[in-house]
Amino acid sequence: MLFPSRYSLERWSYTLQRITGVVVTLYFVLHVIETGNFVGGPSVWYVPPYDYARAYYEEIREFLHNPVFDVGLVIIGWMVAFHAVNGLRLTLAHFGITLGRPSRVEPEAPPRSFSPFQRAIFWISIALAVFAVVYSLNALMGVLAA
Amino acid sequence: MSERRLMLLHYVTGIGILITGAVHLWVVFFTVPLDQTIWETTMLFDNHPFAILSVYRNALLASTLWLLLVFTTYHAMNGIRVILMELIPNRSFVSAIKWVLIALGLFLVVYGTRTILIAYNIR
Amino acid sequence: MEGKVVFTVFRHDPSAGERPRFVRYEVPYRSGMTVLDGLLYIKERIDHTLAIRYSCRMGICGSCGMKVNGLPRLACFTQVSELGRSIKVEPLPNHPLVRDLVTDFTAFFSKHRAVKPWLIRKDAEEQENPTRQYLQSDQELERYIQFSYCISCGLCYSACPVVTALPEFPGPQALAWLYRFYADSRDQGGRERLRLVDDATGIWRCHFAGSCSQVCPKGVDPALAIQLLRRAVLRG
Ligand code: SF4
Ligand code: FES
Repeated sequence: MLFPSRYSLERWSYTLQRITGVVVTLYFVLHVIETGNFVGGPSVWYVPPYDYARAYYEEIREFLHNPVFDVGLVIIGWMVAFHAVNGLRLTLAHFGITLGRPSRVEPEAPPRSFSPFQRAIFWISIALAVFAVVYSLNALMGVLAA
Repeated sequence: MSERRLMLLHYVTGIGILITGAVHLWVVFFTVPLDQTIWETTMLFDNHPFAILSVYRNALLASTLWLLLVFTTYHAMNGIRVILMELIPNRSFVSAIKWVLIALGLFLVVYGTRTILIAYNIR
Repeated sequence: MEGKVVFTVFRHDPSAGERPRFVRYEVPYRSGMTVLDGLLYIKERIDHTLAIRYSCRMGICGSCGMKVNGLPRLACFTQVSELGRSIKVEPLPNHPLVRDLVTDFTAFFSKHRAVKPWLIRKDAEEQENPTRQYLQSDQELERYIQFSYCISCGLCYSACPVVTALPEFPGPQALAWLYRFYADSRDQGGRERLRLVDDATGIWRCHFAGSCSQVCPKGVDPALAIQLLRRAVLRG
């Protein structure tokens, strides 16, 4: 049931939206914890001196600046772009916008809820996700410049 | 809160993330010249228009970041709740997980707000 | 296409305590043959213990739903020629199994009943003894006519990934029927109707996976009905 190979695009979107949502949530939790370190870690609840925060930050930066995390971020970038645009598509659909209107049944016609507009936004989400991969690969690892 | 309210907020925060998240990504990634990486520019501590500290010190960017934090926390916690309640349709499990998610959400908002407030004030 | 078609058929009798198994049957191909024709050939000539449910043989009664080559379909409405030489037949998922290809629709129909699939009028006396006709314009008719084509075959219900995970979910068929009456200009159920599904196991659990509309043999597009219903609920 997890991989709906025989079902339509909408079913894939449903599965992907869930997977990307869960993974991005995990990233978000780690991200909030990790950026907390920029100001000196969990024990600092006052404003630390500039130099202290800076030294602490440099250490974290050293730790994060490696290809494993970079590739992880690229994957997160893919997921964020997909989840964002596909989420917009779902919101529109849930509010009854961009869907076809009900009418008399036409045999063999695709369901009106799978409107060209809806399909287009789905493919835009995929395209943007691919763009996000290329862009963040460059922004993180400088692949285009190399 | 009724399920209707909870889900309505899910859409609203989703749109909110779209806007505030775009600003966040723009600051971190899209201000970086194509021939440089973020590690040489925005991921510096200071001394760059969009280095970490400069972003937090800018009141407008910092408040956008805070909104993004709140929106994402709600959206993520509610999303996990939805997935879990559909996967494990057991009433007592659903109400138990609700409190775990509220606690995790509160932690994220408090901890993230702390980061933003402290960084805003580092001079 | 001539020669033989191989049917791989799910066989299981839960009351007999044996394990589910797939049995291969070879059936001579005949032009215009449907999956139901093939199964009836098996039942008549090869193995009469095979349990199937059907009635009209023409896509009207909605009783012959089964999973054919991985998708829920009406056996009488599916041509063998569109599937090829090897056909795998299983009972509909999401409905409890009775035996072989026959599934139990009790829960499905009780969800159907729960959305009050009839016209509600405020004036009970008028409803019982109408004094006039209730006319509709073409536009009013088009708002719901598509959804009234439903034959309650339960294919959408068995394709729905939410029903699989959350058995309390009303499912596409019931929600589409609810909208079909809500959108009917003669109906006065209004908000009352919306309240029936505005809860944690109701309409909010639909995430527009669209599988219902993909498998519906009648072009009902329950996913469309559900999104329009949700729009109505969102507007309060
Ligand atoms: S909506 Fe379509 S698939 Fe679902 S029960 Fe009605 S006719 Fe069958
Ligand atoms: S036998 Fe009636 S719909 Fe197939």
